[in-house]
Amino acid sequence: MAADAWRQWAAFAALFNPPPDRSPLGAFQQAPPFAPFFDAEQFTAAARAFHQSGESSQGAAAAFANFLREQFGSVLDGMLGGSAPGGSPAAAEEAPALGPAREQQERLQRAAAAWRRLDQAQRRLRRLWSDALAEAARDFVSRLGAPAAPPTAETLHGLYDAWIDCAEEAYARMAHGEAFGLALADALKEASDWREESAAAIEPWAKWLDWPTRREINSLSLRLRALEKQLRETKRKRAARARPAAKKRTTAAKKMRGGGKR
Amino acid sequence: MTARLYAALSAARHCAPGCTEKDEVWRSGKVRLYRYRPLSPAPGAVPLLIVYALVNRPYMMDLEPDRSLIRGLLSRGLDVYLIDWGYPDGADRFTTLEDYLEDQLAGCIDEILKVRGLDALNLLGVCQGGVFSLCFAALHPERVRNLITMVTPVDFHTSADLLSKWARKIDVDAWVGQANVSGDVLNQLFLALMPFRLSQQKYVDLLRGEADPARIENFMRVERWIYDSPDQAGAAFREFVVWFYQQNRFVRGGLAIGGRSVDLRTLELPILNLIGTRDHLVPPASSAALRGLTRSSDFTTLELDLGHIGMYVSARAQRQVPPAIADWLGER
Repeated sequence: MAADAWRQWAAFAALFNPPPDRSPLGAFQQAPPFAPFFDAEQFTAAARAFHQSGESSQGAAAAFANFLREQFGSVLDGMLGGSAPGGSPAAAEEAPALGPAREQQERLQRAAAAWRRLDQAQRRLRRLWSDALAEAARDFVSRLGAPAAPPTAETLHGLYDAWIDCAEEAYARMAHGEAFGLALADALKEASDWREESAAAIEPWAKWLDWPTRREINSLSLRLRALEKQLRETKRKRAARARPAAKKRTTAAKKMRGGGKR
Repeated sequence: MTARLYAALSAARHCAPGCTEKDEVWRSGKVRLYRYRPLSPAPGAVPLLIVYALVNRPYMMDLEPDRSLIRGLLSRGLDVYLIDWGYPDGADRFTTLEDYLEDQLAGCIDEILKVRGLDALNLLGVCQGGVFSLCFAALHPERVRNLITMVTPVDFHTSADLLSKWARKIDVDAWVGQANVSGDVLNQLFLALMPFRLSQQKYVDLLRGEADPARIENFMRVERWIYDSPDQAGAAFREFVVWFYQQNRFVRGGLAIGGRSVDLRTLELPILNLIGTRDHLVPPASSAALRGLTRSSDFTTLELDLGHIGMYVSARAQRQVPPAIADWLGER
């Protein structure tokens, strides 16, 4: 019964993660797989092993906790939106840039350096994430009571919920700390730097193709914005000037109407 | 069970949020002002304008017939307007908070006052929209009669505020540059506040209970809302993070919009402050700080045992929030 419940879970998860489309257009048409599903078969097997371990089950509990820790290790990658892009940089960072292409070489070097820093920042986040999961695994072991055999579907759900509680609590302790905040800030900054340096490296190609660059569009946007602001100010001033005159006219009309009545 | 659940999810995938009839009554750029069609024969004389946050779409206030705060307000005789900020694109990257407040929000309010022949209306600010409403009321006290703030951050430096702890360490200038900020990235940050519950457990929980179509449709509508995150206009985002999250200017002072000082201590109007005691995005203490910062002698705090999202969509919210707002406004 219990295994059935989690087998259903695995079947359900599989419906969302179809096998990859191998056609030439597959890479473009395929949405990224929906990630939150862990391996339910393995979860059931690990939970069963724990339940069958009997009263003195510290080793089994630790194995179960470590299994969960490994399963949830990749959750962070989903939140980071993937890893820093791979591949070797086009130009070695330290190589002296000489000749007519030196400007472009330096731009590529800066982009490569930014990529390296982003990769390092993401590694720091992953290490902290892993530390939190290790702490969660320790808490989980200490919370596990003596296993009740045979496990039911409810028992398995209970184990899953207990693990989530431990993971959230360990994560919260880390996330509120200085080290995680700094690592997150670093990762954001390095991702921004990499984006900016990459854009700067690509911009010469846009110029060569006579395409508008972001810098040119920004410049136009700012000019347009200044004009709009000026127009709004003029309208506001005109409305402000019109208001007392309109009020005067209304008051005069009221007086005339009043006078007529009298 | 698996097949039934999958079929129910599949059937619900096109469920459109938003159920109450409304008319667009004004627009400027990407901003739309809507008026909901009254459900009572004689709606209130003073309209209520809902100011939602920029970071999510406002249809969460009107998700489905039995989970719609807007419907609840209309059925209690209120005349409800709503601002839809739209989806900023690359052309909006230089839009500032001054633009949002003094052009777009002010434009909506001017239009309502002009059409209705009124001097002032009632404002309901939600989350970041509450921050905007507080700023507007401080800048233009003559145009706001009563102010309701819902799950609104005021003190951005409370100890439970994880988002603020992170925001204070971020180099916002480097992050934003001259671009907009991706709504998807912000969403990941919100999910990272409770990553295991929000990105894992809630899907596992789907398999618990029956594949009841109503439950699944509600789940899909909320799911759609969560991931329907507009990009943020870069300049306004930078100002918001620096002035509020990093410098906490509501509390510490020094806030100015368009060169004009915004001081909550000048607020004297009636205020109703709705707080979710289980809010993980805006800690209760952050909202509660408002009481000590204004000079309002008619200040009401209502704490509800709800989370940030539960404040709009939970069954309890439908029972408690609209009557609380309608009764409070009715007394004024």
